[in-house]
Amino acid sequence: MEVAVLNLNNLFCDVDLTSSSIDFVSAFLSTFSQIYTFAVRWIMPLLAIAIVVRCVLPLISKRRKSAPWGYLIMQNGVELPLYHWENSIGRSRLSDVVLNFPFISRSHAVITLSEGHWVITDLDSKGGVQVNGEDITEPTIVTESDVISLAGLELRLRNADAAAIAERTEENSGVQLSPGSTMLMIVIFQILGALQLFLAAGKDIKPTVILAFFLFIVAESIHYFIFKHGVKSFELEMLAYFLCGIGLFAVATRSPNAVIKQFVAIIIGIAGYSVFLFLLRDLDRAQKVKYVIMAAAVVLLLLNIFLGQVRNGARNWISLGLFTIQPMEFVKVAFVLAGAATLDRLLTTRNLTSFIVFSGACIGTLAITKDFGTALVFFCAFVVIAFMRSGDLRTIALICAGAGLAGLAVISFMPYVSSRFAVWRHAWEYANSKGYQQTRTMVASASGGLLGVGGGKGYLKNVAASDTDLVFGIVCEEWGLIIALTVVFVIVFFAFYAVFSVKSCRSSFYSISACGVAAIFLMQTALNVFGSVDILPLTGVTLPFVSNGGSSIVTCWCLLVFIKSERFVPRRAVKSLT
Amino acid sequence: MKIQSRRAVIVLFLLGFFIFGIVFFVSSYLKNASTWVFYSGNKHIYKNGRISTGTIYDRNGLTLFSTEGGKVKYNSDKTIRTAVMHAVGDSEGNVSTGALYAFKKQLSSWNLVNGVYHGNGSGNAISLTIDAKLCAVAYEALAGRHGTVGVYNYKTGDILCMVSTPSFDPENPPKVDPDSEEHNGIYMNRLLSSTYTPGSVFKLVTLAAAIDNISGVTDRTFRCNGTLKIDGGKVTCPSSHGKQNLSEALANSCNTAFAELAIEAGANQLQAYAQKAGFNSVMYIDGIKTAQGKVDVTAASKTDLGWAGIGQYTDTANPATFMAYMGAIANNGVRVTPKLLLNSKSKQTSVLSPDTADKIKTYMRNDTILNYGERNYPGLHLCAKSGTAQINGQQPNAWFAGFLDRKDCPLAFVVVVENGGAGSKVSGPIAGKVLQEAVKTYAGKM
Repeated sequence: MEVAVLNLNNLFCDVDLTSSSIDFVSAFLSTFSQIYTFAVRWIMPLLAIAIVVRCVLPLISKRRKSAPWGYLIMQNGVELPLYHWENSIGRSRLSDVVLNFPFISRSHAVITLSEGHWVITDLDSKGGVQVNGEDITEPTIVTESDVISLAGLELRLRNADAAAIAERTEENSGVQLSPGSTMLMIVIFQILGALQLFLAAGKDIKPTVILAFFLFIVAESIHYFIFKHGVKSFELEMLAYFLCGIGLFAVATRSPNAVIKQFVAIIIGIAGYSVFLFLLRDLDRAQKVKYVIMAAAVVLLLLNIFLGQVRNGARNWISLGLFTIQPMEFVKVAFVLAGAATLDRLLTTRNLTSFIVFSGACIGTLAITKDFGTALVFFCAFVVIAFMRSGDLRTIALICAGAGLAGLAVISFMPYVSSRFAVWRHAWEYANSKGYQQTRTMVASASGGLLGVGGGKGYLKNVAASDTDLVFGIVCEEWGLIIALTVVFVIVFFAFYAVFSVKSCRSSFYSISACGVAAIFLMQTALNVFGSVDILPLTGVTLPFVSNGGSSIVTCWCLLVFIKSERFVPRRAVKSLT
Repeated sequence: MKIQSRRAVIVLFLLGFFIFGIVFFVSSYLKNASTWVFYSGNKHIYKNGRISTGTIYDRNGLTLFSTEGGKVKYNSDKTIRTAVMHAVGDSEGNVSTGALYAFKKQLSSWNLVNGVYHGNGSGNAISLTIDAKLCAVAYEALAGRHGTVGVYNYKTGDILCMVSTPSFDPENPPKVDPDSEEHNGIYMNRLLSSTYTPGSVFKLVTLAAAIDNISGVTDRTFRCNGTLKIDGGKVTCPSSHGKQNLSEALANSCNTAFAELAIEAGANQLQAYAQKAGFNSVMYIDGIKTAQGKVDVTAASKTDLGWAGIGQYTDTANPATFMAYMGAIANNGVRVTPKLLLNSKSKQTSVLSPDTADKIKTYMRNDTILNYGERNYPGLHLCAKSGTAQINGQQPNAWFAGFLDRKDCPLAFVVVVENGGAGSKVSGPIAGKVLQEAVKTYAGKM
């Protein structure tokens, strides 16, 4: 591969020693800026890869030892280990504790570790559950001295010994990489990028842009130092900061005036993230908060329907005096919570009615306001959550078929949507009309090559929505395909991590919502990236953590809590066991 | 929780689709990025629709096109600018065979790793094989008539001169009226993209077929009384040439003799030798496609075959391809494909046996001496054939094609003047001027 070589003659020919010192300074700056861009084009992609690898490796190599939390002991002395926080007991092969007796129901009971106690719940089994000879109708705390009987099968409980639990709570770190160095690399990455933008802009640089980058770097560093001792791992947050930084680059080139706003949104996002982290950490509290948030979401839905303003064909904005928000972004958090349920609830109340009604309200609102891209994101999350809850493939297939037909109807009867579909996969034929944005994104991505033309030096920034719907193109053009692909890879990793950590989740409440968030992130990224390069129709949804947009950024940070929730190990609970 | 891990597989399904999409994008990126980047809306490469990257030099380092700070500059001499306009191209991209359009990839320095990035912001430089000053001589020799002059080195393939008229000054592009006679085909490079009825120059193809397929043809005596009657039709000469051998028949450009040879060699052989000479196929000059000359005698009557043998009937020839055939005769039957980029390599194809090539060369040399006059082409050691191609109701096209039989200056050439009249009288002097200039500059230096 050819390496672009600087033409030194050209670099220095501008320098005229006899001219005034101001000319000399500007000539020096332009020379310096060329050398700087030359270097940074190689350094930043390498740094990006290093950052992502350093964040991902510790997360996937750290596995908790699979020592059991306790045992159910049968009368013949056989010990049945309890590996999870929530364990289903039954005849079914998929139960966590399999008891293959004809009188045991397929899903008989759930035994849960909660606040340092074991709690057993009867799942409306035929034979029932008795504790010390008495039938239970509600979740009941059991201790080592109690006798549990499942339809007559007697079991006793034994906690794991202290050493085993201590070993379990300590993480087995396969790869240890200093998070401090990773954080430092992220900060360097962002400083290098900001300086590149500063040099490219020259005299046109806005002081607010510099201020925003400075404050952003300070904020993420403070966040890191505060949480360094609080949470065991900071990798997920660092990945989010990595994406936010790239998002700021894109906003700084396309809409320098919006950089401060984007920065404020990130700060609100981090605040929201911290609040949710606190609220959801405690499972009981999380279950109560769920209904408050769902109620708030209904208010937002109504506001959207009655106060919504039209922008780019969709009525999805409401104005709150000083600023405008996209309420449906925030509803995503409620949507994910609405679908979540603990294992005992999951296995007792099998119907999805309330969740379907809530989903219907959300997707219906989006249809009324003509925001079909977001509707697709919600629908995708709905399918994932519904399957996580019911495991019923046939129903899911039916729902998808129904939605497919509804989608077809929308495509054929709504002129605004059908015109977008007419362009789809034919963008080059409409290169200067309806395919303008897509073709310019492809041209920009090709112009950037693997390393980019240098921050601030692209042309896609002159195209409308290039820091939101087409942000992938701006990243490709100015920072190169490698960095753009690392951005996509981070989203892929978030989704993978949600699945990867289901087993060690404390409750299905968390695993369901994490998978829901994975679906939202994946679908948004697919619609954004593939839409901008004409692989999917352009629908105008945001790229998580990157696109310019306050509501989107705040929501993404709040949703990140669910991906993180695998890490919720209630220390109190563990302590009381030991 | 076992059941949850099972059901979470649905997210992996989604993830699979997503990764498939990414792979699809990356593969279409790798395949198409080089096309996407040259879309006319790309401001990295075009400013106001004009190509604005790169530098073009002629073979001697003369700047023909450059971009400084996004501003387009051509050569400072107006005649040179106009003479090389078709070779270099105009910045609007109207001349699709011009270097600016055809070599835009080399000019922009785009590659997969660096994209359009280049340290100094002005793209790549390319050197063409043409000699801009020689082109200017050819342009002036054409003196406003429509036509083309091509000169190339038959050993290396370097095109030294490529001029097409009418042309214009790319610094002040005229308002082109496509219907006017003055601007007829102004954006077309006639050397590469036109086809004309070849007339008598085609006898060099018939000659090759005859030498290889008719035994004793070189010792035969031909009798010309001005008319050859064939199955009710006839082929005529302007006057009767009387008794002549093959060499004299070529020098006389005797129609009846060559019609007879074409019929005797047969349609299949004439067709085959026309293909060898480059008819019915295109030539790629560093990727630039030439127009296709055509010969089709598969369904021709005997009379038509006779006419086809002397370059009439439905025959058409592309000047650049015919020039390459001249090169093959000069170069022992090996055709070196002409090229325009100084650092590219030419393809070599053997089209005639060295023996046949040598015989044709001798006859062409004899033609020059007997017919065109050595004093008109002093010191060139010229081997040539003229053509005065009849076209219905118009002045004939004047062809003059051949080569210098010199080791120190191995040049082949073609000159066509549209509706110019007699080939040797109109096009011959143009070729003479350009070749004298070329010999002066390059003899012994090639």
